[in-house]
Amino acid sequence: MGTRLLGILALVAIVGASAFGLFVVKADLNQGDAQRIMYVHVASAWLAYLSFGVTALAGLAYLVRRDLRFDAVAVSGAELGVMFTAFAIWGGMMWGRPVWGVFWSWGDPRLTTTALLLALGIGYLLLRRLIDDPARRATRAAVAGLIAAVDIPIVHFSVEWWRGLHQGPTIGSPDKILNPSAPGMFVAALMFQLLAFSLAWGWLMLRRYQLARLEWLIEEEGRLGGISAAQRAARSGEVAT
Amino acid sequence: MSALAAAARIALIVAGKDATAELRGRQATASTAFFAALVLLLFGFALGPDPTRLAEAGPGLLWLATVFGGLLTIGRLHQLEADDGALEQLALYPVDRRALYAGKALAGATAMLVLGGLLLPVVALLYGIDLASAWLPLSVILLLGAVGFAAIGTCYAALTVRMRSRELLLPLLMLPAVAPLLLAAVKATTAALAGDPLAELGSWLGLLVAFDLAMLVVGTAGYGFLLEE
Amino acid sequence: MTDLGFIIAGYGVILGGLALYAMALMRRLRAARSEADRIRRAVGADPLE
Repeated sequence: MGTRLLGILALVAIVGASAFGLFVVKADLNQGDAQRIMYVHVASAWLAYLSFGVTALAGLAYLVRRDLRFDAVAVSGAELGVMFTAFAIWGGMMWGRPVWGVFWSWGDPRLTTTALLLALGIGYLLLRRLIDDPARRATRAAVAGLIAAVDIPIVHFSVEWWRGLHQGPTIGSPDKILNPSAPGMFVAALMFQLLAFSLAWGWLMLRRYQLARLEWLIEEEGRLGGISAAQRAARSGEVAT
Repeated sequence: MSALAAAARIALIVAGKDATAELRGRQATASTAFFAALVLLLFGFALGPDPTRLAEAGPGLLWLATVFGGLLTIGRLHQLEADDGALEQLALYPVDRRALYAGKALAGATAMLVLGGLLLPVVALLYGIDLASAWLPLSVILLLGAVGFAAIGTCYAALTVRMRSRELLLPLLMLPAVAPLLLAAVKATTAALAGDPLAELGSWLGLLVAFDLAMLVVGTAGYGFLLEE
Repeated sequence: MTDLGFIIAGYGVILGGLALYAMALMRRLRAARSEADRIRRAVGADPLE
């Protein structure tokens, strides 16, 4: 099946990209080997934002069309989003300690924005977990997603200004600025890992979507005491395995 | 009567209804203010006794306490309806949803204004800050903050109505979302109290306005969808 | 390789986490599929595919 092929491709790509970033690319002249963490950190962050963007858009689509398949996309994006956001923060911390000397810096806008993103994502998932009715859950989650989608750009700007106007002591020394010995390789490694993660994201979204649809089916059967929804879905072939 | 005038009238009626309920339940309003004041007191114990440190932390603590009190306030404003199922009844009226939202947000903003206003003298006293010198910018900040908090809070409150663990979920959803509001209010307050040495007050006020507008728009839209259930 | 611990921790948690999530997802999917098949059989339709 196509999905399985995608999964294998993603796996190979991740292994390859990681090997490339860890062993082939030369260490950064200023940041040393710790800079290699950037490849997975940036990839994770990119996919975190993509995932939540999908969630917000899918939620909007649900509000307009009332098709629960959009909601299935939304929950998939949110779950992946929380995961990739956590990875991004972790990567940022593992990079920050050797390069800056600290795990956490309030002066770094990306770190603080990502932390808020994680909080909003977890809140979204928790909200969903507390509602049983599928339509109500989809509606409320979609609205929550919209609020968060509007909020995050504002957060981004506010934190940027916070850092800019509050130019405190620069974390770490100036000579820790990124200085790749071969800029082309650096970009290549970044792109490679980004591509690999994106493939994995695609596979994960597909699988998570399938799971969401199956869970809806099971839920409906439990709610309605059996037959009608399951019958309809089975007859129409709507929910393929 | 034009549609806009009709909508405005409805909004005011809804807001008035909530305000009346608040006044009747004066105890709840007073208790919330007292709670927020207690938070300020406890911050004093946590961060004191050095007056310099407290004075520096003052703006941040003021708005934090207001946020905590605000969470209780917003939740309470919607609990009344939720308990009686009146929210659904409201939704049944052939009324512009946006008017309903505006009314509730107006009530919320007013409650927040009162709350913030009550806390200002407490902060001035406990942390030794001369707030009176910056009363005009402070009023603007309080107003903008109240509107923004109520705008997003009204929508979240409707979102969590009749849900399990509602008392926990509303703060959990709201706190990360109002982080930029908190940041802007604190930075603006700090700048105003210092006489705005870096000319940043305007930027932070601008951010507050942007937050308010964005949340009013999305809140209105979201509220409509929520009541359609 | 300097800063080895941080690199291992960084890559390990992220790539390992991805792998764990993927495996857990497949497990959830298998469970859901068998449950859905059970429903289909109960409903009387042939299991699709």
